[in-house]
Amino acid sequence: MDEPEMQGGFDPLLADNVALLHEVMGNSYDFIVRELVLPGGCRVALFYLDGMIDKRQLEDNVITALHNPILLKSEVTVSLLLTGVIEAGEVKRILDAGDAVDEVLSGGVLLLLNGARDGLVVSIPGGEVRNVEDSKTQPVIRGPQEAFVETLRTNTALVRRRVKDARIRIRAVTVGAKTKTDVAIMYLQVVADERIVDRIVERLKASKLDKVFDGQYLEEVLHGHKQRTIFPMFYNTDRPDTIAAGIVEGRIAIFIDGTPFVLIVPSLFVDFMQSAEDYYQPYLYSNLIRMVRYLSLFICMLAPAIYIALTTFHQDMIPTVLLLSLAAQREGIPFPAFVEALIMEITFEILREAGLRMPRTIGQAVSIMGTIVIGQAAVEASIVSPVMVIVVAITAISSFVIPAYSMSIPIRILRFAFMGLSALFGSYGLVVGFIILILHLAGLSSFGEAYLRPFAPFSRRMQEDAILRYSYGSRSAGKGGGNAT
Amino acid sequence: MNRRAAWISCLAIWAALSGLLSGCLGSRELNSLSIVLAMGIDKVGDEYEVSVQIIDASQMSRTRMVDRSVIEVFAERSPTIFEAVRKFTTQSSRELYFSHMRFLLFDEATAEEGIRRPIDLLVRDSGIRPDFHIAIVKGGRAKDLMELVTPTEVLPAMDLYKSLKLSEQSWAPTAAVNVKDLLMMMASEGMSLVLTGVKFEGDIERGKTSGNVKQPKIYGDYRYTGIGVFREDRLVGWMDEEESKAVTYIANKVYSTVAHVKCPMSDGDFVVEVRKVQVHRKPRLVDNQPLMRLNVDVDANIAEVECNVDVKDEKSIQSMQQVASEELEEVLRAGIRKAQKEFEADVFGFGETFHRRYPKRWHRWERDWPAKFKAMPVEISIDYHLRRHGKIINPVDNFSDEGG
Repeated sequence: MDEPEMQGGFDPLLADNVALLHEVMGNSYDFIVRELVLPGGCRVALFYLDGMIDKRQLEDNVITALHNPILLKSEVTVSLLLTGVIEAGEVKRILDAGDAVDEVLSGGVLLLLNGARDGLVVSIPGGEVRNVEDSKTQPVIRGPQEAFVETLRTNTALVRRRVKDARIRIRAVTVGAKTKTDVAIMYLQVVADERIVDRIVERLKASKLDKVFDGQYLEEVLHGHKQRTIFPMFYNTDRPDTIAAGIVEGRIAIFIDGTPFVLIVPSLFVDFMQSAEDYYQPYLYSNLIRMVRYLSLFICMLAPAIYIALTTFHQDMIPTVLLLSLAAQREGIPFPAFVEALIMEITFEILREAGLRMPRTIGQAVSIMGTIVIGQAAVEASIVSPVMVIVVAITAISSFVIPAYSMSIPIRILRFAFMGLSALFGSYGLVVGFIILILHLAGLSSFGEAYLRPFAPFSRRMQEDAILRYSYGSRSAGKGGGNAT
Repeated sequence: MNRRAAWISCLAIWAALSGLLSGCLGSRELNSLSIVLAMGIDKVGDEYEVSVQIIDASQMSRTRMVDRSVIEVFAERSPTIFEAVRKFTTQSSRELYFSHMRFLLFDEATAEEGIRRPIDLLVRDSGIRPDFHIAIVKGGRAKDLMELVTPTEVLPAMDLYKSLKLSEQSWAPTAAVNVKDLLMMMASEGMSLVLTGVKFEGDIERGKTSGNVKQPKIYGDYRYTGIGVFREDRLVGWMDEEESKAVTYIANKVYSTVAHVKCPMSDGDFVVEVRKVQVHRKPRLVDNQPLMRLNVDVDANIAEVECNVDVKDEKSIQSMQQVASEELEEVLRAGIRKAQKEFEADVFGFGETFHRRYPKRWHRWERDWPAKFKAMPVEISIDYHLRRHGKIINPVDNFSDEGG
């Protein structure tokens, strides 16, 4: 590599340093070097990236401060500037040129003094950031509305604000050779298993990632390669209340700078079926809704498969009148039920993807086309039967009921597998497929915790918040289940 | 769990299930099946004529285009039922699907010759679910009834089925016997088989055309009528409506029925709606001979009153109860008499009752049970309760007396 040398201290000669930094930064348009002469005649230079710092603070707390009359009286040194002159919040002394460049890249102002081998970094990050807004991916009707943003520090503060416990620890790692993304690992000391924290930090440090923009990069690094699965092993959310509850329960949260989605481990299957709302509504209502959700999970995964199995293998299991009605609808349909189901399911997946990716302004057009193509024209043209449209529609709607999007993905994929099984072997295939699925899930574990816990292995205490949520009043004392979803 | 263990358990479960659920392989699309809803078996010469009623599913949809019949009837003659069933493939492009069969009809000739033979296949074959109902076509051919265009339900077999169920529920003299009941009755020495009869009414030829339902007047229809009594598997005769009632009463299969009774002290009748009947059988031995005692509890409501009585009066209610009770006893006696003297067939299953009460003695009686049954005295005691009298108290003609 042809990169300029950035090791070691600075040259006492300011002009040399300016030249060096210019060379490192490649004369970038947004790299600003501002040279000043202090009241005592001493020369300093300020280096920063335009847009990455708060210019107002730079003017008020750095440049104005440098005209402090104290500088006339005594000899100007870096330590004097550090302790007595610069009034900005976070200032530190820096010796290494390479570190100095990193600081500049992450929103610091580097101050170099002519004749000194060390410099100062004033950290006054600024520029445009998003404000804290409502959660868009997991909205609730009742309960906290705030959601994480792209700024790491804001996110950790949002959690700290909810858990005022001095034992909260945050460990930082920088991941990504090029992006140098800050990753913060938050946990509650004593309650959380620190060996897991060590393992996470270790693996992140050892990772050879080039870039990190979201938790998924880390998931694939952190997840053991021995467990191949399509199920999500890391719960992610942009809801600070959910993360706070997880921290209290002893889980470990992984914040990544630049994304509002925070990972939490260990994650269990049931986590993905719970919504923050469950904890903010009366428990009876929450439990009913949770059951509806599990029902939806099964509908989403099995409805087309069951339809295929019943109509092509087990016609005797359908009530006579219903069978006649189904048979009437299938008259004149050219494809077997399996192909018919496949056509409709794939059409729906296309529509869903289109709806997700297209620019919002043309959304109307796609939904109209989708409704007409799926709902009406296909039936009228006798390509699919009306009951198949019903099956696909209920399947599709059910998939939106699953609260974690990352869980609805594997369920949708499995739907196709089950359709194939039932087309080949009828309900026999379905049952065997389902057993294999359960075996697979029972074999998974997330950071030492079995994925199907608290069912396999069974835990009575954890039933308090598995499928049902017990009333807060009736929970067992001590560290009962909180509301990490 | 380690990988190998997981795979081994997978395979084990697969193998176990394939044993349990075998016979399901081989898929059929719905539009390659002809759903059979009813089957008729007639005797023609030495052969059976098997007729099946199948659904034209395209005619069941809301948007049917052409004016075709909803059902089709195919018929084949053959010495055995199974051959006839297979022969249908020469007539129809779709496989016959018997799992949803609702009704099996025999003509009288087949029933008189014995139904053991034809019923065998229908119980033996794995593709036929043994829950269909059975009836005898009285004085006609089963095939003709298959072809009837029924007025209330579009599907004739459903019409027959629902009507039988309904009449059993609210009009006693029919017996909804499905094939499982039939097998049980045939297997038992102490109980004779009974099957309900169904006959044509009106113009059967016009009843078979779609014209039958194109105007309010119906040209031809079916009617359940009486109960056919079997000895072994052979039809020996018919009970009329009142006698049939006795059979269903004693079998505790009356859920609700109505009966008219002569008024106790005046002209006219009153009608009781029987709400609950419970017949308790008390088998006894008198001189080592069987005696059956029937304790009957009846709860009934007054449904219609033509009598000149004051229903408010406790005495008149009691006398009404008394005559209703006598009337019922007469109905039961008539039915028992007919079964004992004329058919010598234990249609009430009294033999079964003795079998359970005196199992050892029964085995000695078993052989000549028909003779014992014929001579057996039956005592009847009835506990009759008239409960309600409806929205008005006295009959409409002396309404003015009531004073509100």
